[in-house]
Amino acid sequence: MSEGQDWVYSETVKEHFLNPRNFLMGDEAAFSCDAVGVVGNPICGDQMKMFIKVQDGVISDIRWKTYGCASAIASTSALSELAKGKSLDEALEISAEDIDEFLGKLPKHKFHCSVLGQDALKAAIENYKRGIIKE
Amino acid sequence: MVYLDYAATGVMLPEVVEAMREAELEFFANPSALHTPAHLAMNEIEKVREKLAKMINAEPEEIIFTSGATESNNTVIRTFERHEIETSPLEHHSILETAKIFRGEKKPKLYSYMFANNETGELLDIKTLIEKAHTEGGYFHSDLTQAFGKVPIDVKELGLDYATISAHKIGGPVGIGALYVKKGALFKPLLVGGNQEKGRRGGTYNTAAIIGLGAAIDEIFKKRASSEYDTRVRALRDELARRILEEVKGSSLNTDLSPDKSLPNILNVSFRAAEGEAIQLYLDAEGIIVSTGSACAAGDGKPSHVLMAKTGDAEIAHSSIRFSFGVSNTKDDVEKVMEVLPGIIDKLQKMSTIEV
Repeated sequence: MSEGQDWVYSETVKEHFLNPRNFLMGDEAAFSCDAVGVVGNPICGDQMKMFIKVQDGVISDIRWKTYGCASAIASTSALSELAKGKSLDEALEISAEDIDEFLGKLPKHKFHCSVLGQDALKAAIENYKRGIIKE
Repeated sequence: MVYLDYAATGVMLPEVVEAMREAELEFFANPSALHTPAHLAMNEIEKVREKLAKMINAEPEEIIFTSGATESNNTVIRTFERHEIETSPLEHHSILETAKIFRGEKKPKLYSYMFANNETGELLDIKTLIEKAHTEGGYFHSDLTQAFGKVPIDVKELGLDYATISAHKIGGPVGIGALYVKKGALFKPLLVGGNQEKGRRGGTYNTAAIIGLGAAIDEIFKKRASSEYDTRVRALRDELARRILEEVKGSSLNTDLSPDKSLPNILNVSFRAAEGEAIQLYLDAEGIIVSTGSACAAGDGKPSHVLMAKTGDAEIAHSSIRFSFGVSNTKDDVEKVMEVLPGIIDKLQKMSTIEV
């Protein structure tokens, strides 16, 4: 915790943790999407799932589910905001550092949460591209 | 704020604050000196030593004041450096890590089993282990940090050779504790360089803190008379457990509520598909203060070694929350927890990748 702060993480992390954006509430079937990416493992304490809808090569809508700590929840929430409206190639460029920056920096031992987020989105995009090739 | 993290530490009792304030001004002299103010300070220290001894049925000369449980635990383990050391897997890290570094092959062997666990409140069945240790010619240490002041403890009847005591879990100050060393038991000082504590622990006496511990003990004697922990606090804990099981989907208890199985003030619960740090921080945002055994909350990235030892299930450990009560908690606190907890767990479960 940095000096003068009454919360363990940054204000942006707090905001995205307490009021997460774009999470897929409840039943997954409620959101019709074009591809899904999953990373992590509940045994390790965090798992993330990204659901993307793609229109003309652009991520037109995005939802996520996360089992994990405040940083994990905030990371996926932040990522969903960063990725929405971006082309698939642009979205692939979003790095863990970008998520970290957006959130006003995670503590060092929580940086892996932003890496997991990035990996989940990457997995979703790759699954989408694979799907396209199959078609 | 609803504070339910008393097993970590609690606010000092007002009587303790007052006693320490007076002590800082009145008994400031170095108790080891020859002058009168020193003697007056030393008298106060000895009064607390007697009180503490009486509380656990020890002799005053069997009590050594230390800086707290970590030092007491380290002192016992280091006394048995290069000796065989057996501990329960549930011990505090100040036992586990010290034993890992310093254990060896020499006899006699040291057994170290805590009286009650800090995460689940479990009361360990140490009686038979103590007998076993003594039959083998070994020594037995018990870390009383959580149990002291919550349940009656008689070191003589139990047959303990060493016992660790901490002040701040009972409303006393942080930075003071004690070690019970049975007369005649092996002993090697950890802090050397001073004749304090009859050469068993170097360092200027922390008079005000010792007096603070004494004041906390006085309060415990009062509380035990009304058996506050055993009745009122236990009822609050059990009520919270009952309501969580009834009202929160996917909840399971990691604490056995039977009176002879756990301390009356600790309740450990896991919530399926919801992660502990997230639960803890959502509760924190609502002004409810608890702790978790989740790896995400620990700096080392490992889930609670206690819940892992008890359940072998990492998900249970990651999803665990400990509610620990003090005598100042009320029924209203339980009510306030239950106003927000079901909603928090529901939200996290709906957000989760895991099905409930």
